[in-house]
Amino acid sequence: MQPSDEELYRLMRKGNQDAFAQLYERREPALYRFALHMSGSQAVAEEVSHEVFVQLMGPATRFDETRGSLESFLYGIARNLIRVVRRLGPVLEPVDRPIYHDILGELIGNETTAALHRTLREMPERYRDVIVLCDLEERSYEDVARLIGRPVGTVRSRLHRARALLSAKLKRLNAPSEVVTR
Amino acid sequence: MTCSEWTMELVECARQQTTPDRELRVHLSICAHCSERWDREQQLTAHFRAMRMQAALQSRNSQRESLMRDFARIHRRKAVPSWVWALGAAAALLLAVFLGHEAGKRNSKAVSPAVRVHGEPVLYEASLDASALSSDDFIAVPYTPPLAPGEMVRVVHADLYPEALASMGVEVDPAWAGDLPADVVVGEDGLPRAVRIAENAQF
Repeated sequence: MQPSDEELYRLMRKGNQDAFAQLYERREPALYRFALHMSGSQAVAEEVSHEVFVQLMGPATRFDETRGSLESFLYGIARNLIRVVRRLGPVLEPVDRPIYHDILGELIGNETTAALHRTLREMPERYRDVIVLCDLEERSYEDVARLIGRPVGTVRSRLHRARALLSAKLKRLNAPSEVVTR
Repeated sequence: MTCSEWTMELVECARQQTTPDRELRVHLSICAHCSERWDREQQLTAHFRAMRMQAALQSRNSQRESLMRDFARIHRRKAVPSWVWALGAAAALLLAVFLGHEAGKRNSKAVSPAVRVHGEPVLYEASLDASALSSDDFIAVPYTPPLAPGEMVRVVHADLYPEALASMGVEVDPAWAGDLPADVVVGEDGLPRAVRIAENAQF
């Protein structure tokens, strides 16, 4: 049976490097993707996902198991770091940079996808959070509720509101091509 | 059901990529607004899939190794528990006390290694005690037994190292590097009782 995040954390605090490595391998990829979608920058995502673990092993970290899971604690650190980065100014290296050298690249390089990604980045954080976690990370409502510390109903209503905003954006993006085809 | 209630359902169908149930299909066939929304929700789901693939395709610099090095560095420093430091400090203290004690013993035997004697000693009868010696420009050497009445003492002329004088309580300029000519009153037991710096000594 796999040890829980919290068990690994306790071992890690005692200096067990294997526990730290296991925790890193288990949680870092999703944290990286979360930071990537939230910030739109690969450089920021790398920095944030690294810094989360630097903070976790630092002496100042006071994770309290009674107040929530380690995973939501890690997402909390990541969210704060992204807020700081966004406050500093526009992020470079947009994630929606087109890649044209293969079929998949053409799909990904789709201008509509890029425009939606830009819209997503400009959304209020409460909507961006749920879109990234529910739709891009494909987490359940219950998981997301636990990660962001909100009731399931709130997560669901925020997601629907966020999708409505993106749907409206999509409608505007689709409109010119519809005019041309008529 | 209202359109807004149908919308909740169609969003979930689009997210999970499932086919709407019969009732919703019937509603979509008669409501243009919901039908359009259904199309857009499906498109959104497809775009999200593209975004996921884009994120998965990006090559990235793994910082795992540097993190592990940092972790090892932090915990190597922390690896020695505090009680070991306490034990080490106690041992160092004991060693310092022991060395101090040994150095004290060497100094009390005195002057011998630090003194170079010149000429024959002059013998005096110690009708005088240490305080009398002090009065004659002699400085009593502290922590030595008093002279017994009738005990013969010798005065030897010697070059003293400044450290030896300092250990006897004589103020010596720390910058002084050479020997100091002095008269030392030595008891019958061979222990120095008093010291007088020679008049020609130059600090």
